[in-house]
Amino acid sequence: MLEMFEYEFMQRAFIAGLFIATLASISGTFVVLKRYSLMSETLAHSALVGVAVGLVAGYNPLWIAVVVAVLSSWLIEYLRSSFSLYSDAILSIILSGSLALAVIIVSLGGAFNNSLFSYLFGSILSVSSADVITIVSFGSLSLALLLLFSRELYFITYDEEVAKTSGIKVQALNFLLVTVVAIIIALSIRVVGSLLIGALMVIPTAAALQFRVGFKETIFISLFFALFSVIFGMTLSFHFSLPSGATIVLSVILMFALSLVINKK
Amino acid sequence: MQLKKFTLPIFDVKNLSFHVRGMDILKNISFEIFKGEYIAIIGPNGGGKTTLIRMLLGLEKPTSGEVRIYGKRLQDFKEWYKIGFVPQRASLVDENFPATVEDIVKMGRVANRGLFSKFSKKDAAFVNDAMEKMDITNLRKKMVGTLSGGQRQRVMIARALASSPEILILDEPNTGVDVASQQRFYKLLSKLNKEDNITIVFITHDIGVIADDIGRLFSINQKATICNNPKEMLSCDDMSSLYGVEAHLLHNHKHGH
Repeated sequence: MLEMFEYEFMQRAFIAGLFIATLASISGTFVVLKRYSLMSETLAHSALVGVAVGLVAGYNPLWIAVVVAVLSSWLIEYLRSSFSLYSDAILSIILSGSLALAVIIVSLGGAFNNSLFSYLFGSILSVSSADVITIVSFGSLSLALLLLFSRELYFITYDEEVAKTSGIKVQALNFLLVTVVAIIIALSIRVVGSLLIGALMVIPTAAALQFRVGFKETIFISLFFALFSVIFGMTLSFHFSLPSGATIVLSVILMFALSLVINKK
Repeated sequence: MQLKKFTLPIFDVKNLSFHVRGMDILKNISFEIFKGEYIAIIGPNGGGKTTLIRMLLGLEKPTSGEVRIYGKRLQDFKEWYKIGFVPQRASLVDENFPATVEDIVKMGRVANRGLFSKFSKKDAAFVNDAMEKMDITNLRKKMVGTLSGGQRQRVMIARALASSPEILILDEPNTGVDVASQQRFYKLLSKLNKEDNITIVFITHDIGVIADDIGRLFSINQKATICNNPKEMLSCDDMSSLYGVEAHLLHNHKHGH
């Protein structure tokens, strides 16, 4: 089984994958508890617009994906706070709008090909050294911010108004959270793919919540599930030549099913 | 209770009004709240009690008028840890939320901390002390979702106490709590007021239970009627015109003693 690490692309894929599992599961805990699950799907589709622009214009798709996802997260927060619209409706509009835009850009640029497919479903073959550097650098920054403010974010997640009356800068921190989530999602599309990253963010936490334990324990369980799923999923992807996003997501769903069974009342 | 006229009030509310779509929710409300007071706010549903509290806490902007906290305008006030707030829904938490009792009480220390500082021994001491006072130390490892309404309520107050506030503001804290727990709860509040000198302001509808302890009674129904000495109901007689039923209840309760 370890012979897969003789391939350099697998080493790169594993570094990227383990990093993304860590980022997705820790940020995912806040995403799920804040009922932002649909937002992660929406941001993943917005990131695809960045990928499309990158592919057509010849820039690094991952970098542009990060920029577009972050801009999209700010647009969502702005629409949510400034207009009286249902937030799931806003998310749904931006999700389909982004996908439509991405498809048009790619079609006009004549880049509708395999490389787009790999961004939709993830591919362990496609993680370049430059991607690993981007993922590790942006990822470390995101992780540092999340950990630095984890106690404030936890409080806000529990009760936003009480957090506000305690003097916590709720608006700024909500803004920070969606920005970090947007970055993490954009970084993840190499390995997990934009159609499947939402699952890696939401399902490990959804599974961990079944154990009904405290905050830290929930994060650790979620982290464990995410890491295990990425390792297991990438190994399957390597041996059976399957898209890594798909194998990772099925692995994490397996974890979720097990959690349900173990914790059945 | 003698008002401490020469000290700075914690809250100084002047001519506060709040309108929504042309409707008056609150009209021209003025009062001061001083350190060490024990104040109950009563009033009919929709009378504006919760709105008033939300304006005191900066969660709602008044249409006109002003709220000052420790002499400062709301937007300039920074020491929010001095104010502990327990909202109405406190006892009705999301049952699946991943939090032990200790996790929740620790939240009370978050706003006091510096950006890079960790949870310190001093923080732990405040958390332990708050749990001790609310008699929930034995529940510290329990998940909040598994607690009874009365226990949850004490957890929420412990969270507020952990920041070592000078004033506690509670909005109908007894929603969904059984009678025995309510009485125990009022004893705890009274003790916090007397022994720890924490100023207490709370909205309630069961004024009969606590009338013995409270210092002042605010009746809010668009306007405020303030009763400076609820023990001598004569001074509060104009209250019955605004808010007849409760005032009578209070009367009867007093006569029963």
